[in-house]
Amino acid sequence: MGKFSRQTVLLATAAALSSGMGAASFADDMTLAISMRSLSNPYHATFARGGEEFAKSVNLPFEVLVTEGNSEKGLADIRALISRTNGNVCINVDPNDSPDAATIVDEAKAAGAYVVTQWNKPDDLHPWDNDPNYVAHMSFSGVGTSKEITNALIDAMGGEGGIVAIGGILSNVPAIERKLGMEQAVADTDGKVEILDFQPADWNETKAFEIMQAWLTRYGDDVKGVWAANDSMGIGALEALRQEGKAGSVPVVGIDGTEAALSAVEAGEMAGTVAWDPMWTGGMGLSLCHAAASGAIDITAEPHEHREFYGTGIVVTPENIAEFRERDTSFDYGDYWAKSTGQIQYQQ
Amino acid sequence: MKTVLELRNVTKEFPGVRALDSVNLHVGRNEVVGLIGENGAGKSTLVKILAGIHRINEGEMLFEGKPTSFRSPRDAFNHGLAMVFQEQSIIQTLTVAENIFLGREQEFLRFGIIDKRSMNSAAKVELAKVHLNCEPSEKCSKLDFAARQMVEIAKALSLDGRLDSDIVILLDEPTSVLERREINLLFEIIGELKAKASIIFISHRLDEVLEVSDRIYVLRDGAVVHETASADASITGLHEHMVGRQLDHEYYRENKQRSSFGDPVLSVRDLTIDGELRNLSVDLAAGEILGLAGVVGSGREAFARCLGGLMLPSSGEILIDGKPVKLNQPNQAVDSGFGFVPSERKSEGIVSGLSVAENMTLAAGKRFSRFGFIRFDRERTECQHWIKRLQIRTPSVKTPMQSLSGGNQQKVVLSKWQIVGSKVAVLDHPTRGIDVGAKEDVYELIREMADQGIAIVLLGDTLEEVIGLSNRILVLRDGEVSAQFDAPAGAKPDQLDLISNMV
Amino acid sequence: MASINLRALAPIGVFFLLCIVIAIFSPNFLSVSNAIRILNASAIPVVLVMGATFVILMGSIDLSIEGIVALCAVVTASLVLNDTTAANLGMWAIPFAVLTGGMVGAINGATHVYLRVPSFMATLGIGFVCLGIATAALGGFPVRIADRGFRALTLGRTLGLPNGIWVATAAVLVALVIQERTRLGRYVFAIGTDEVTARQSGVPVERIRILVFVLAGLFSGMAGVMAAAQLGQGHALIASGRLFTTITAVVVGGTALSGGVGSVLNSVVGVLIVVVLTNGMVLMGVPPFVQQGVQGFLIIVAVSIALDRRQLEFVK
Repeated sequence: MGKFSRQTVLLATAAALSSGMGAASFADDMTLAISMRSLSNPYHATFARGGEEFAKSVNLPFEVLVTEGNSEKGLADIRALISRTNGNVCINVDPNDSPDAATIVDEAKAAGAYVVTQWNKPDDLHPWDNDPNYVAHMSFSGVGTSKEITNALIDAMGGEGGIVAIGGILSNVPAIERKLGMEQAVADTDGKVEILDFQPADWNETKAFEIMQAWLTRYGDDVKGVWAANDSMGIGALEALRQEGKAGSVPVVGIDGTEAALSAVEAGEMAGTVAWDPMWTGGMGLSLCHAAASGAIDITAEPHEHREFYGTGIVVTPENIAEFRERDTSFDYGDYWAKSTGQIQYQQ
Repeated sequence: MKTVLELRNVTKEFPGVRALDSVNLHVGRNEVVGLIGENGAGKSTLVKILAGIHRINEGEMLFEGKPTSFRSPRDAFNHGLAMVFQEQSIIQTLTVAENIFLGREQEFLRFGIIDKRSMNSAAKVELAKVHLNCEPSEKCSKLDFAARQMVEIAKALSLDGRLDSDIVILLDEPTSVLERREINLLFEIIGELKAKASIIFISHRLDEVLEVSDRIYVLRDGAVVHETASADASITGLHEHMVGRQLDHEYYRENKQRSSFGDPVLSVRDLTIDGELRNLSVDLAAGEILGLAGVVGSGREAFARCLGGLMLPSSGEILIDGKPVKLNQPNQAVDSGFGFVPSERKSEGIVSGLSVAENMTLAAGKRFSRFGFIRFDRERTECQHWIKRLQIRTPSVKTPMQSLSGGNQQKVVLSKWQIVGSKVAVLDHPTRGIDVGAKEDVYELIREMADQGIAIVLLGDTLEEVIGLSNRILVLRDGEVSAQFDAPAGAKPDQLDLISNMV
Repeated sequence: MASINLRALAPIGVFFLLCIVIAIFSPNFLSVSNAIRILNASAIPVVLVMGATFVILMGSIDLSIEGIVALCAVVTASLVLNDTTAANLGMWAIPFAVLTGGMVGAINGATHVYLRVPSFMATLGIGFVCLGIATAALGGFPVRIADRGFRALTLGRTLGLPNGIWVATAAVLVALVIQERTRLGRYVFAIGTDEVTARQSGVPVERIRILVFVLAGLFSGMAGVMAAAQLGQGHALIASGRLFTTITAVVVGGTALSGGVGSVLNSVVGVLIVVVLTNGMVLMGVPPFVQQGVQGFLIIVAVSIALDRRQLEFVK
């Protein structure tokens, strides 16, 4: 997904820049928008592209809003967009922080706009309590997928030995869920696999590199596997192993399915990664939102598992990477829940 | 007479140096005590001990008969020992009133908020004591050096009436930047103060110490070598005690004054600086010393700073060797052949953190480097040559500049411009705050510079100095040249003639 | 004078003390292989502090480090054999990337000097511009390096040590020569200590300021090249966290933020302290949730020991 999306993302950026003009010229049309943290990471860049593809398919104006990690900016941009379009807008938003979702939903309800949220929202905020404007919430099962990728790591290790684990920012929900899934998978081995150490590297490649170095000193050859809560940190650890000539001999897993990680899987240096489907979350989120807003479906009549649902995270390993590369990535914008893997469950 | 402050057998040692050697000294109530000594004689150590900056190794200090040791200058101040330092303690961004009562705002607090009006009116009272006519609400940065000094003295005087104990005011070189008129005023104030306080007066000007003090201590090599009532003392006698040798040759080296000069070097044509200077024209030849006389604000400082590239002229022309030069930036002035020795040596003349050698060659970077790399051998040889020639007292060329005495620092500054080969040296108070012995060295040096063909523009520390050193004197008043005097050796103009054109 | 020199050695004392404490808890720390790992992890920060030290000695600050490193890493990755562009310059990519860093440094300096923007704001803004360019040019995707020869810059070994360590050593030598033996180095100290006097003595203060920012940019550029080689890619976020480490290392090493006091060698020790601290935290098994607190505390202790406060009239 790396190559083809680059120029379109640039277009998306340009679209965002010229959004003022765009909105004016399409005054009667419904506007479609994506809001997210930043364009400087592959996941979000592809997420925006998914939204853009859908907008093209229905020939509606499209905008990208970027929070740059700042909740205030994110909310202000959304507010401005809603008032500019008089509420005639569909927004597929990945909120910067969970509480932001509540504010966004309130704004949308007040103006008659429609929203779909991704990943972050408070546990007690539900689409069905905010009919019809809060269309749906989409996420991925952090615990479930993490468990799956950890099992892939354990398989690559031959079922036993010590692993070291690199976590994300300690207070992030995905970081907590992924760590939990990893711990559950290790517990299921009945002591054959042991977590030697867990260190947070704040999603940061360089930090993961330095921590991996220290682990090599502390545990040496006792490290039989490396688990990382995302691919960036996984690559950081892998490069630290490479420095010692151990790339490929100690399996590493990550999560996100970045191109770097997929290539490492192909090269046999990583034992696996989880590929999300940001093209799908970006496109299908908007499609569902647009369907509800335009009256194509009566969203209020849909069951709860169609309002809060998990997408499909594909565990990619050296065994299935070729297959994964060849898979059919197209999907039908009308088949809203084909890739759903069930209603969202909340951890207590 | 009751003794207010007393030092008994006070000894202070620093690693390798005995700065004070069982010093005995007392100050009586309502007495003005003069304290003189060469640089390094122990004056500043003594002051720092009184102020609580240094601790005594042996002996004791008694204040009002009780053994005392102040923790800081602030602590000393709160107990009644106020100091007016050479390096001013005025904070320029605060107002006059805020400076006077800094740290003592409680007096003016109304529900935790400073009542500016009552603070300003209280400040007005203190300013009246020093006859300084300025608004208490004025920022100190707007005042000139002399006025700031007066504010500092007013600050010390504000203790009067606010404290039960006796008050001792220590004046450390208070006259070095003051003009004669202001000095007279200061002495008048000191006369008035005597009724309320005791005063320690430190100065390198022996005549002033004689004039203002009741009793005088002479320090040399950390010890009190002489104590005398002023009535029984003479300048020559004090000088001998101070330097330990006789004043055996003429002070301003008049015998070395040149009478013939080289080619004209500097020409100034109708130089005007708005609000400072009007239509100044003057020519200066190689080896000639031009003295500038005038009160503060007469335009002579502005002229000097203009030559240093620190102040932009509004109109007029400056020519070096007949060619017009632009002096918009200090480096243009340096490249054109000007060497500026600023009056504020500590903040403008030297770079404290750098070594002696680095200071000496700072302006002559190109000469001591090749492709940007420093030629250390060449630099060391040159610096050692100057250290020897100017008798700069320094352990080595690598010694940090701040560990040299004021006089030696000034010699380094002067050598800096000789090394770079300046054609015109602009000396703004080159002997400010340095002692008699070092002063003579500086005079010697100025004569030598003239012999080498350097044209010199001199703003003297005293009128006497300007007359003694110069070949020619320009008197400025209100930004204009009011008179010009020739001052050949043996036929120097009279001070009174100059003064009548200054005011 | 002797006391000043002793004081300058304080960071080295802090470093050895730290090593001893960590070694008591974790004997592995003293192994040769761990020493090499620490040096290797120090390589990029060391190159960065070389530039940052000159800027700080001059009394300014350079906050564009992360931006320049990211931009230069992207430039490097785009010019060697990679998955995004058709370029294949091999090692020739290095001078291009380093010069890019120098150019950004020149813009930093010129903005600071000619527009009279405080270096804090000028470099902060230009750093963001660099990040913006790196983001916009790639649309958030990394450029992945396929050139094995180029990656040998950090992955390869010479005389048993990773090449990155040699590159860093060379950077230190260059910086040391500039500091000790050139006019530029001397002027930096003069300006940092007393800009007024330096200016009055004819030192071309503006030109020197710009030159120092160029120098810092060149070092940051080189660090960008090394980061690209180490991680095998270039992207906008590759340098995140570098700025804090760099400034911390310079200060921990004993260079005063007020300018005029310090040395590039001090900063090398500062980097070692910071890197050993990270390494030691993991080795000693300090729980992750207290690590940041302990690290922050130890950094303050290190600075308070290393800084000669008697030389500083005020601390801001």
